[in-house]
Amino acid sequence: MIELDSVSKNFDDTTVLAGVTGQVNRGEIFAVIGPSGAGKSTLLRLIDLLDTPTEGTIRINGLDIHADKERRLSIRRMMGMVFQKPAVFNTTVTENIAVGLRFRGTSKSEIHTRIEEALDTVGLAGYGERRARTLSGGEMQRVALARAMVIEPEVLLMDEPTANLDPVSVEMIEELVIRINRDLGTTILFSTHDMYQGQRLAHRIGVLMDGTFAQVGTPREVFTLPASRNVARFVGIENVVDGVVVAAEDGMSAVDIGNARIRARSSFSRGERVSLCIRSEDIRIAPAIRGRRVFDGNILPGTVTSVVPRGPFSRVTVDCGFPLSSVLSWKAVEDLDLREGSQVTASFTAASVHVVRAGED
Amino acid sequence: MHKRIIFAVAAVMVALMLICGCTGTTSDPTPVETQQLRIATTTSLYDTKLLDHLTPIFEEKYNAEVLIVSAGTGKAIEYGQNGDVDVLMVHDRAREDAFLADGYGTDRRVFAYNYFVLVGPESDPAGIKGMQPEAAFTAIRETGMADGSDVVFVSRGDASGTHSKEKAIWKGAGFNYSADVQGSGDWYQEAGTGMGATLTMANEKQAYTLSDIGTYLAYKGDLDLVTLVDEGDILLNVYCAMQINPEKYPDINSTVAKDWVNFMISDDVQKEIASFGVDQYGQPLFYAAQDDWEKIGVPQAEVKDPIA
Amino acid sequence: MYEIIEGFLEAIRLIVTLDPDVMAIAARSIIISLTATIIATLFAVPLGAAINFSTFPGKKSLINLIQTLYSLPTVVVGLLIFLLISRVGPFGFLRLLFTPTAMVIAQTVLVLPILTGLTISALSGVDPVIRDTLYSLGATRLQFLINIMKEARFAILAAVAVGFGRAISEVGAAILVGGNIMASSFASSTRVLTTAISLETSMGNISQSIALGIVLLVIALGVNLAIARVQHR
Repeated sequence: MIELDSVSKNFDDTTVLAGVTGQVNRGEIFAVIGPSGAGKSTLLRLIDLLDTPTEGTIRINGLDIHADKERRLSIRRMMGMVFQKPAVFNTTVTENIAVGLRFRGTSKSEIHTRIEEALDTVGLAGYGERRARTLSGGEMQRVALARAMVIEPEVLLMDEPTANLDPVSVEMIEELVIRINRDLGTTILFSTHDMYQGQRLAHRIGVLMDGTFAQVGTPREVFTLPASRNVARFVGIENVVDGVVVAAEDGMSAVDIGNARIRARSSFSRGERVSLCIRSEDIRIAPAIRGRRVFDGNILPGTVTSVVPRGPFSRVTVDCGFPLSSVLSWKAVEDLDLREGSQVTASFTAASVHVVRAGED
Repeated sequence: MHKRIIFAVAAVMVALMLICGCTGTTSDPTPVETQQLRIATTTSLYDTKLLDHLTPIFEEKYNAEVLIVSAGTGKAIEYGQNGDVDVLMVHDRAREDAFLADGYGTDRRVFAYNYFVLVGPESDPAGIKGMQPEAAFTAIRETGMADGSDVVFVSRGDASGTHSKEKAIWKGAGFNYSADVQGSGDWYQEAGTGMGATLTMANEKQAYTLSDIGTYLAYKGDLDLVTLVDEGDILLNVYCAMQINPEKYPDINSTVAKDWVNFMISDDVQKEIASFGVDQYGQPLFYAAQDDWEKIGVPQAEVKDPIA
Repeated sequence: MYEIIEGFLEAIRLIVTLDPDVMAIAARSIIISLTATIIATLFAVPLGAAINFSTFPGKKSLINLIQTLYSLPTVVVGLLIFLLISRVGPFGFLRLLFTPTAMVIAQTVLVLPILTGLTISALSGVDPVIRDTLYSLGATRLQFLINIMKEARFAILAAVAVGFGRAISEVGAAILVGGNIMASSFASSTRVLTTAISLETSMGNISQSIALGIVLLVIALGVNLAIARVQHR
């Protein structure tokens, strides 16, 4: 439905997008995630024709949207957009929602019905005559969503729609996004710096880093099989270590990371430089044991260097010649009597090690 | 409470509209198009309200509307030179002559005269009471320039007819105006404004000033200043009206301009002028020029003959 | 001191009894300045919008220039218009000098920069997200402009009020091109509050001046209060 073909955008001397290529399918929810300043907003603005790309083309239904100035309006009218900052016009809620319909010359009675429906959908029934500026941030953003929705766009663009909102509003908006997509079949493209939101809502995720998609895939792919060291870092994999493949056989390889060898499932061949991504949730911590157990995985002796509480868990960092982080429940930390200096072994299976080609950095 | 305010505002608005409406309708009761006559006048004729007295008579008789711009003679002559007015009413013989000679004006008619007076504080610090004008000026200048003196002379300083007269008196007293008088000290101050305003200013400063008798009498009620010098040929003050030369400015409202000038020297108006202010001030502010042409030294034609 | 108190009492009497002279002068002031402000608004708002929403070299300097013209001295404007419409001037044939029309022209010129400048500020003060939102909702150029104006309506209204305040309170241009004429018909007279105050004060009619001054103050304050009320809604 939306095709991005080497889309680049420079502002003066700053390159914001450097050749974004990708595709959003009809009817799907596509999340653009990435750190702040990665160019997420710029990408959405380019699609909504609020800006023109420096290079590359954006096609919707096969049509280059920036090619024909005459058709800009009709193309833009296929889309609705919700911005990060809840912005409402200085008038009533009803009038706010009506704006897009009025632009399209919709009849009064039709506008009335659609607004009532929309208010109901976003949970603001009865708010119609209120002045929009007097609403809370979350309510304003729902007005903005209703405003973009009543025009029944084929594509709904949302630029970090829940940034700066309270958790209750975030949940409401997220529910609405899923409902709009499910009930109306609207293609939704939204950006977020909250990778978990991407995971919760999106059918597919594009990770925008340094002006390009570092990876596009399902949430599961992106979170478990990050395509690069940077993506791994961004999706919250705490342990990323670099090394060289020293042995490879039957989809198993041994990677030398300097002062240890780690077994991992991978198809890289000998001599290749790789990065190993290990989720801290996959690392088990046990008291130090003498001797070796037969274990199809990695057992590394080490010393606890820190125990830091994180929500209902504790993050335990172990020095195994390289720092390795694990997440344990408070109870587990107590049971194992873990503290700074404790001698432990950290273990993880070869399958829980995700191997990517080492980046340039 | 709010309602009351709204009503009050509404009432004022309605009142304003009524006033606009009334004044609007009274001005054009006749279907004939009203002619507009623009007059630039010296301030003394305006400030004495003589013109306010005469214009309604004229407006009714000629179905015209008179628009008066009051300024010093200098400024009025400038308006005349630019053709911004139809009629000029001034009192500065020498400059009138130049104006006529340059072809800007035609048909001068003299309609009134009176005398200038030298007024000042009752205490008369320069001791000029009863002197001849030239001697009085000399005395004012001398005492004014003395150290620690509180003698002040306020001049019109606006190139008006009165200002011209004042300069003439300084000259008659043997002084070079720009060298000996202007800028010779704090005692000599130029107001740069009309006669009425100058009198008000002189009153504030308890200063001497030269005024036409008409304006002085009209303002006398509000002033503490008294007449100190009112005799001397040089104090004669002659008012004339003339129309702007239609050959120079063809779209001048020549007919009404003529009507006005002739109106000013008509017997009825001459009587009006001679009696104007008598009931209020006990003496006339102006004398009719009609029969005194010899006394004021102008040709008989200028006071008697209507313009053709 | 006594004179001031007496002047005040007389002034109050003139206002309360709706003295025809005072009311006519006040009405004329309002009509002339309102007309000038409306005409200036009709020019300034589209002009301000055009400047604000287009990009061209020298835009910043132009805006700076407009802002400098806020403090255009009123007598200079008066002089300029005088020179243009005096009989010997280029537009002398229109015979506009010493007419209310001339005053309207002068005041229009006087408030045009301030209205244009404040319109630009008002429009550029609209949140950029609002602008993007309008486009994203599918506004045509015209719909966009109309809706941005709606968003900035209070700021523009305030600009109009500032313009009116400047027009009705200026005296320099009014006296130069109007001539402070009191004619027998309302429409031919050019005596407005400021010029009347100037004249009456110089003639020593203090109470008349005070009355006119109070009326002028009430009008100026009233306009600004009304605007403030609307804005705080």
